[in-house]
Amino acid sequence: MSTDPTRSEVLVIDDEVQIRRLLRMTLEEAGYAVREADSARVGQSELLRHLPDVVILDLGLPDQSGVEVLRRLREWNPVPVLILSVFGQEGNKVAGLDAGADDYLTKPFSTGELLARLRALLRRIKPAVATSSFRFGRVEVDLAHRRVAKDGQPLRLTSMEYALLQLFITHRDKVLTHRQILRELWGPNSESQTHYLRTYMLRLRRKLEEDLDAPRHFQTESGVGYRFVSEPSEAA
Amino acid sequence: MEIPVDSAAIPADSDRAVRSALAELATAMPGREYWQTRPVSMARECAEVVGVVAAIAFAGWFVPVSYHFFGYVYLLTVIALSLRVGRWPVLFAAIVSAVTWNYVFIPPRLSFSVLDVEDSLMLGTYFFAALIGGQLTARIRAQERSERSREQRASALLHLSRALAAAPTLDEAAAAALRQADGLFAGQTALLLLGSGGSLVPHPAGSFALSDRELAVAAVALQRRQPAGRYTCHLSAAEAMHIPLRRADVALGVFVVRLPAGVTDLTAPQRDLIDGFAAQIALLVEHEHLRAAGEREKLLAESDRLHRTLLDSVSHELKTPLAVLRSAVEQMETDDPGKRARLAGEVSTAMRRLDHLVANLLNQTRLEGGALRPQLDWCDVRDLVGAARRAVGDALAHRSVDVEIAAGLPLVRADAVLMEHVLANLLLNAALHTPPGSPVRVSAALDPAGTHIRIAVADRGPGISGELAAELFQKFRRGPQAPAGGLGLGLSIVKGFTAAQGGDVTVGPEPGGGARFTVVLPVAAHGSIPNDEH
Repeated sequence: MSTDPTRSEVLVIDDEVQIRRLLRMTLEEAGYAVREADSARVGQSELLRHLPDVVILDLGLPDQSGVEVLRRLREWNPVPVLILSVFGQEGNKVAGLDAGADDYLTKPFSTGELLARLRALLRRIKPAVATSSFRFGRVEVDLAHRRVAKDGQPLRLTSMEYALLQLFITHRDKVLTHRQILRELWGPNSESQTHYLRTYMLRLRRKLEEDLDAPRHFQTESGVGYRFVSEPSEAA
Repeated sequence: MEIPVDSAAIPADSDRAVRSALAELATAMPGREYWQTRPVSMARECAEVVGVVAAIAFAGWFVPVSYHFFGYVYLLTVIALSLRVGRWPVLFAAIVSAVTWNYVFIPPRLSFSVLDVEDSLMLGTYFFAALIGGQLTARIRAQERSERSREQRASALLHLSRALAAAPTLDEAAAAALRQADGLFAGQTALLLLGSGGSLVPHPAGSFALSDRELAVAAVALQRRQPAGRYTCHLSAAEAMHIPLRRADVALGVFVVRLPAGVTDLTAPQRDLIDGFAAQIALLVEHEHLRAAGEREKLLAESDRLHRTLLDSVSHELKTPLAVLRSAVEQMETDDPGKRARLAGEVSTAMRRLDHLVANLLNQTRLEGGALRPQLDWCDVRDLVGAARRAVGDALAHRSVDVEIAAGLPLVRADAVLMEHVLANLLLNAALHTPPGSPVRVSAALDPAGTHIRIAVADRGPGISGELAAELFQKFRRGPQAPAGGLGLGLSIVKGFTAAQGGDVTVGPEPGGGARFTVVLPVAAHGSIPNDEH
């Protein structure tokens, strides 16, 4: 999909000057406008001054936790946020996603991966799906009539499977944590019942994926949750 | 004498020597009578004396010989009795013999007669013989007794030291010593050892539970490094005797003996025995202290060696990719696009190596620092394998990876992130240690009993020899043909992470050649799933 990024503005909130420099170089070359903030305080004032199209937020800021920044931001705005975490802080990452981050990357990350994630986030806020049907791989979902077909053949999904699929389509290209999915589908009392989710994911994949051992659309993020990718890159 | 040696109380794994020594001791120990000055019943000896004298009088009544003859018979009787009975009974024998001889034999019979000089002299010899004989016998007896008690003491201490030497640990030795002391002293004993905080800690095998008061007495004994409590000149109102365990100038603890209620005072040999016991135990404790110190020393040396190894290999492992990065970056200015592409390839390889190294070091640190808190959650084995394959990236790009996961496999209780590291490390290992292009097989299935899930990573490499397999999971352990690079941390992390999740990992041969690593996770039952329309 050819989303034109020339007008898109990225706010980078990270205290490491070298990371900021490299991100600026990469992002400007890719056609983004870049603003920087080196602390949570500066980041927050930058957010208020002018809202960017997407935020790259480091979780380990010196003056305040990135999760806190995110929580305050989410009180008033749904701008897409990509969080950066370091190895070994899975808990932090999940907290960030639960607080409303849209995606995460673990340092050290690859530039290609970063750009792909940013593209996906921007694609979501410029909705291409105004229609009532959605397509991925060989599967077509008729959202208006709650019908699913694979290669033109109708596919029977249980209501829970369909609800799960719909949730993924709504939040496509975004990481959904276990807790978010469980709360959405089974209610807030089921947030720790991961086995519901595992079982239904297996059923959904069995019906919709080509290769169960290497799912392309319904990807697992270890210890975090799932990501639905409608257009997986061929390399992955 | 019976010493109750409860053989069941001896730990089954303690040496057989301890048992036999204890059994021997049971027959050799002095026991209760040792502590009570024997009331060798004087009444019984006196009765014996009366019996003998009366028997002679009765026999002599019918024998028609001169009364002088019986005078000599009684003299011999007194001498003979002096060898048998104590000092006072023999004197009693002299009196009874004199009276009987006079009353029964000296005419007129059955009445006391006035004695002539000769008869008086005879009576005098009775007392003389009784006094001399009694004295001699008493002396011999005393000697005999002290001999016997010395022998008993020596044998008790010998048995003790033998039992102590045979016990494999301080705990068992102390328990053996206390059991012996209980039997030997026929009372209750306790052993207080100096704890780390300078406080006295009672050994659990002690039979005497010390009251606060007795503990205070023990503390005094320890502080003064002098016996205190009962039978001593310090705090003698206490219930038990407290003997400090001294080695050189240091007190290591206190040995406490509570003797049977009847014992009011101790003889010197008895004190010696208790002191000897305390000295033996002190020796044992000191030994243990020295051994522990030696062990600590060895441990320190070992950890020092490990640190050096770690530092050496970490600096090597860090510096190699850094050298590559530096050299590649310096040549980046080149105009040759082909060369630039090759340099970029080198940079990215070096970077991945650094990344992996840091990850493994952090994981190992988390394992050892005890900071590892597995977040156990329901996981689908397919997800775990898939995540690990993605984490490995293109390290397995030019190999066929065959994944075989049994249908209907139950969910496992695991930490997805840790399992990703576990399986990724196993896959990377397979990639590193087998010929390029050889296949790798990942399989998962329920074991026949249905209690465990086995996830196996098998390769077609050279395989792993039996002796290497045993130590493969230790850190910094690398196979003899391992290629350069790597710290030997991967498998140690695999083991640690698996164990943290309640599982295990083993290595064995893959049928048809190669190595097979198997991660075993227990199967757990999860609750039912609502809204199940299937």
